[in-house]
Amino acid sequence: MAATGRTAPAVLVCGETRTCLLPSFQALDGRAAAQLLRLRADEQVSVSERPNLYALSPELLTGVDCRLPTANGAKVRAVGTVASRAALTEGRVLQASAWFSVPSAGPDTRRPWGHYLVRPGLVEPFGKLPEQATAQGVLRGSSRGELDLGMIAEGLLAQLLRHPLLDHKAPFKSRRTHLRWVARRAPAGEGASLERFTLAEDGLRTVELSLPEETPATAAVGLCEDLALHDWLLTTLVHMLDNSRLGAVDGPSAVLALRPAVDHLLHLWMPQAHVERTLGRLWDVLEREPGFTRQWQTLVQRIRDQLAVQAIPLLHEALSTR
Amino acid sequence: MIVFAASDKGGTGRSVTSANLAYHRALAGDDVCYLDFDFGSPTAAAVFDVPDARQAAEDRGLHSYLIGEVGEPLRIDVWSDTEHRVLRNRPPGSGRLVLMPGDLSGGEFATGEENLRRCVDLLLRLNGEFDLIVVDLSAGRSYAVDMVLEATSKREMRGVDFRWLVFHRWTRQHVAAAASLVFGKRGIVAGGVARGHDEDALRSVIRFVRAAVPDPESPLWSQVSATQSAWMRECDRDLKQMSSALGIGYTQVLGSVPLEPVLQWREQLITDEDVLDSQIATRETWDALSDLAGRLTDDKYWEQA
Repeated sequence: MAATGRTAPAVLVCGETRTCLLPSFQALDGRAAAQLLRLRADEQVSVSERPNLYALSPELLTGVDCRLPTANGAKVRAVGTVASRAALTEGRVLQASAWFSVPSAGPDTRRPWGHYLVRPGLVEPFGKLPEQATAQGVLRGSSRGELDLGMIAEGLLAQLLRHPLLDHKAPFKSRRTHLRWVARRAPAGEGASLERFTLAEDGLRTVELSLPEETPATAAVGLCEDLALHDWLLTTLVHMLDNSRLGAVDGPSAVLALRPAVDHLLHLWMPQAHVERTLGRLWDVLEREPGFTRQWQTLVQRIRDQLAVQAIPLLHEALSTR
Repeated sequence: MIVFAASDKGGTGRSVTSANLAYHRALAGDDVCYLDFDFGSPTAAAVFDVPDARQAAEDRGLHSYLIGEVGEPLRIDVWSDTEHRVLRNRPPGSGRLVLMPGDLSGGEFATGEENLRRCVDLLLRLNGEFDLIVVDLSAGRSYAVDMVLEATSKREMRGVDFRWLVFHRWTRQHVAAAASLVFGKRGIVAGGVARGHDEDALRSVIRFVRAAVPDPESPLWSQVSATQSAWMRECDRDLKQMSSALGIGYTQVLGSVPLEPVLQWREQLITDEDVLDSQIATRETWDALSDLAGRLTDDKYWEQA
């Protein structure tokens, strides 16, 4: 949460990540991914191929001058810039994130835009920041007229979906997930921790983090994108299994309904592939409870077992007609 | 797949029939989204029996979204929010059924680049999420019709499959009006071509649905006099001739929905309970809706005549 200039250090970082399947018949290769995510002419897309194909767009800034969402109805005007970026994993899963950092207090007057532009991703409150109310407000979601991270992330996602590279022939239908997160500053001397992860209705997830002062905001963004990606994979696979009516329907139709999962999802599970090392251990909390990887492996095993069971009669038939 | 439901006149049963189609597809396991683009007279909340949604959508509905007042239009999960006794029990194996209501206060509005972009964004987004998207359009050559014609002509929408259903009642005036809505000088086809649609391609994705069709053979009319019966048959024959002369004959019809008091008066979804238990709706209506729902995506019914 490093601060810049004479502004007080940030005490809170808030963000939202939206995750969806890339609406394209085929997964994009690295070159196409870079083309898709080229949101700015002056900056390159970073593409890494190890341990998996991962493309990250340059950051965009959105100037804001509006009220912060607050859970207690406090009216806090804030001015600054919200940062956003997009990421594409294995040319298949698209994510857009928007986030801002906010210091504990700001000046009572608006400063010239130059002041805000040299502090990308920082939003300054007028007066004192009601930290707790703002964090809860962001997690609950914005009302009309309040700073809406979801709207900024959605706008970026919508812009990407209009790209000519995309044919909108996705191999299967899937829901988006929204992950809202806040990171408070950890008390001096304490390490990073994941305080809470909740699943709400309509694909909404919330994460509360506590991070040391020196952790950059983008590290928190990276962690939350990784959580959002894997949560989306789990959510999507569970939904697919539900819809396939595996176990209720006989014959190969249920298994065939799971074909897209085998083709497009099963190889995407790779927690912490692009998370900063200092934050990687926050994953351990989720691995213990509720056990992300444990659930994923059970689902994958179930699909593979069903495939094997369905293959037996075919094998039998092939052998007997020889 | 997006299905646009249009009609030239009000009272054709467009909203209630298209809502029933959405319901049938959801029952069959598809994830379905129903968009109320009937700006000015949003009725979907009543059809799906979600009265609370009516209030909630006061200023967060599709209208507010399209004019940029809210970032996302309100979504209502019909299975969980409906007050309909039968609908509340979501059957196993059914898909999602989501309603995006129009605003209570939203009327027609002028088309603009921004509204259009939001419309395209919404359709692209829903296309990734739902198997079937039913868009109920205001009657006539309305703003809603123009907007979706324009939206579907955009390059970004090229990969998205869409089809049109034009609803009309089985009367001389309705048949003529429906033909004119589609093929007239200011019709859907002409409007689409003006916006860059290929004429043949657009024609091939438009089918008609005859609503409130009295079947002269139905037991409902078994008590009428011989003269009346003969007259009914003659009218029916005349209408068939007229339809085919106007280019909306048999090959262009996706299906017919019989004259059904429950659809006419209650304007709600017909459930299997209405047919089997209380028997207020007829089996023919249920079957007709079910057939229509199946044909929406059955290419056999959409081949070029």
